[in-house]
Amino acid sequence: MNMTIPPRKEVITDIKNHGGLVAAVLPIHYSRALLRAFSIYPVEVWGPPKVDVSLGGAHLQAYICSIVHNGLSFLKMGGLNIADLILIPHTCDSLQGLTSVLIDLIQPEQVIIPLYLPRGQREEDVAFLVDEFRSLYTRFSDLTGKHPTSKDLLTAIKREEMSDLLLTKLYKNRQQVGLSNIDFYRLVRSREYLPAEHFSTLAEKTLQAATEPRPGIPIILSGILPEPMEVLTMIDKMSGLIVADDLACCGRRLYAPGTSPDPFRRMAERIVYAPPDPTRGNSIEERLKYLTEMAQNSGAQGVIFYEVKFCEPELFDLPSLRAGLKEQGLASIIIEVDINNSLPRQVATRIGAFLEMLDS
Amino acid sequence: MGVTDSLKYYWNVKVVGEPFLQWQRWQAERHPKTPSRWRTDILSPPLRIGAKTKELISRHYLEGRYANGHRPVAWVTSGGPVEILQALGFYVLYPENHGALCGVRKAVVEISGEAENAGYSTDICSYARTDIGSMLSGKTPVGRLPKPDLLLACTNICQTVLHWYRVLAKHFKVPLILIDTPFVYSEASDHALEYVKKQLENSIPISEQVAGQTLDYRRLKEIIQLSKDAAELWLEIIGRGRHHPAPISVFDQFIHMAPIVEMRGKKETVDFYAALLKELDENIDKGIGAVRNERKRLLWDNLPIWYRLRYFAEYLAEHGISVVASTYTNAWGELAPLMNKEKPLESMAKTYTYPILNQGTKYKLDTMKRMVEEFELDGVILHSDRSCKPYSIGQIDQRNKLIQEYGIPALLLEADHDDPRAYAEEQVASRLASFVEMLDN
Repeated sequence: MNMTIPPRKEVITDIKNHGGLVAAVLPIHYSRALLRAFSIYPVEVWGPPKVDVSLGGAHLQAYICSIVHNGLSFLKMGGLNIADLILIPHTCDSLQGLTSVLIDLIQPEQVIIPLYLPRGQREEDVAFLVDEFRSLYTRFSDLTGKHPTSKDLLTAIKREEMSDLLLTKLYKNRQQVGLSNIDFYRLVRSREYLPAEHFSTLAEKTLQAATEPRPGIPIILSGILPEPMEVLTMIDKMSGLIVADDLACCGRRLYAPGTSPDPFRRMAERIVYAPPDPTRGNSIEERLKYLTEMAQNSGAQGVIFYEVKFCEPELFDLPSLRAGLKEQGLASIIIEVDINNSLPRQVATRIGAFLEMLDS
Repeated sequence: MGVTDSLKYYWNVKVVGEPFLQWQRWQAERHPKTPSRWRTDILSPPLRIGAKTKELISRHYLEGRYANGHRPVAWVTSGGPVEILQALGFYVLYPENHGALCGVRKAVVEISGEAENAGYSTDICSYARTDIGSMLSGKTPVGRLPKPDLLLACTNICQTVLHWYRVLAKHFKVPLILIDTPFVYSEASDHALEYVKKQLENSIPISEQVAGQTLDYRRLKEIIQLSKDAAELWLEIIGRGRHHPAPISVFDQFIHMAPIVEMRGKKETVDFYAALLKELDENIDKGIGAVRNERKRLLWDNLPIWYRLRYFAEYLAEHGISVVASTYTNAWGELAPLMNKEKPLESMAKTYTYPILNQGTKYKLDTMKRMVEEFELDGVILHSDRSCKPYSIGQIDQRNKLIQEYGIPALLLEADHDDPRAYAEEQVASRLASFVEMLDN
């Protein structure tokens, strides 16, 4: 299938040409709808990989993960100059630290806006996030001079919900859409910068064009992000098929549609009750249940934990998750990467051996 | 709670253990001895209170050893709001303190190795690795740790504790109370404080259920007052470092801070710090400094390097340098004014939202600058701690600002608070030597 995904640069230029504002957003969870209600377009910054890390290294120690290092390096090299503001959710200690360093010590030209995400799924967590979003609303109003009504907010929310539903449908039909791993994730990850309506059009076209189920050794990919993306091509070449994922940038953000008529509550509930994620404080048991069900529903035979070095939220759960999966007859492997480096040969060998083992 | 366990507790703790530890302390107080390896040429004799510190810590772990079945046990993060649990009669254990103790006893590599063998990465916090290794193997230098009936994790020191305590909760299959404290970039919002207060309120029925008793608010108020009193005394003790020569070094503070971390809310903790303050005042009157020939004075930022305390104390003292203040030890006292027994939950919400680790890098930089001025210091050592990202991120810029904007000499040292494998002695020695030389020039 021929699929043209507009590149990030083109999308940003188009937004700017139409008078929109751009928010550079760091990982992981936030409300796209809240930004869009103010005509602010979120463009996510997951790294990006392979930038001059010496710029970030002038401010951060070597034991901070490459996502944070690269994010800062990218900012310092001018990669975020186009952004009108930078939104940083408090995802982990390192991203929180980066936010603080930017606000207090580096002070870039862009406005830095932090967002604290609660670490539980209790009523008080929802109530707090509702207030956080109300507080962001005031901040965005001050920045833009706009005051979207509840109706405006609900319109923006429903647009994102539609887009997320189509994303979920893509995942459900993963094997039928006929895309290679690399093409599937190019499409899925375009949600990181495409406006919801554009993504929805692409997703609908892909779903309509779905043809033959794609063969391959079915696996789940877990972790933060599939970078460098060569790993996906590598898995393609080795006849592996990622039938589902537990990636922070992808599957952990399959937000279910909300029900509340109050827009702030609806935005908060969508995040608090999203698929399990260690950075939002879900228990190991919840994650294990989720992964096991994911494997059952998708037919996956094994899990690749594809981790960014120094990522504590991921690393703590791995021994328990792997033991639990093993009890369910699911094999797993841990691959640790620095998103700034090319994939070492060793990774290819290990993934190859893992797939071979599953196939046999 | 079982009768047999209670009998064991009374016999081992009250009848045998406590009197023995008391006798040991009396002996040490009556015949004070300076340890044979103590460098009396450069350091003043150890503080007399050391015997009491040893007694308190030993008794605390002895009580823990026999607590299961006698009283409810809670494992709590070091910055956790402990007063409610104390009022409900919990024995409270702080795994981080246990980790520090393992560090001082140089047991981390072996115990942490147990966690690493079970698949835990060496990139996670060394306190957590040590605790998980101890949980999996039962290894500990204190004999035995009690199993928790309840876990309480407060995110005011880091997010790591949340992931760490999820592992503990799965292993021990006990309730985990989460007190999530939104990060403070400049000032905590009303809704953040309300959120913390709500969580404290909601923690009460869970704790009551585990404890098997109802919270007595009068008792809670008493405990809050005792916490406040101890924290205020600790702040005064740290403040004595303003004197020249300073009667207490941060290396002493690191050891004597154990009760303020793990025994808050107890009368004996207040008495202990009152006694320490009295001893320091006596030493000030006699002109006794922690370092015999104090020529230069420094600030320590971040956690200690537990397994090399003696090395740093002696190396610096050899050069007439006394490290007299620390942002870390200061953190255990600076929030004392926020505690208010008349508004227990409200004031606890505020107190536990504002620790230095839950505040922005500017606050840390301002604290360093203020302490340098107030304590009349000559420089700062910033320990870049591989295992404590929230404390360490920002230090590179903080160091640069201290030097370039405030003209304060500052040194950034790479290490880890507990794991000696992340510490290179030669590199540290060479950097320290250059810094000392620069201070003299």
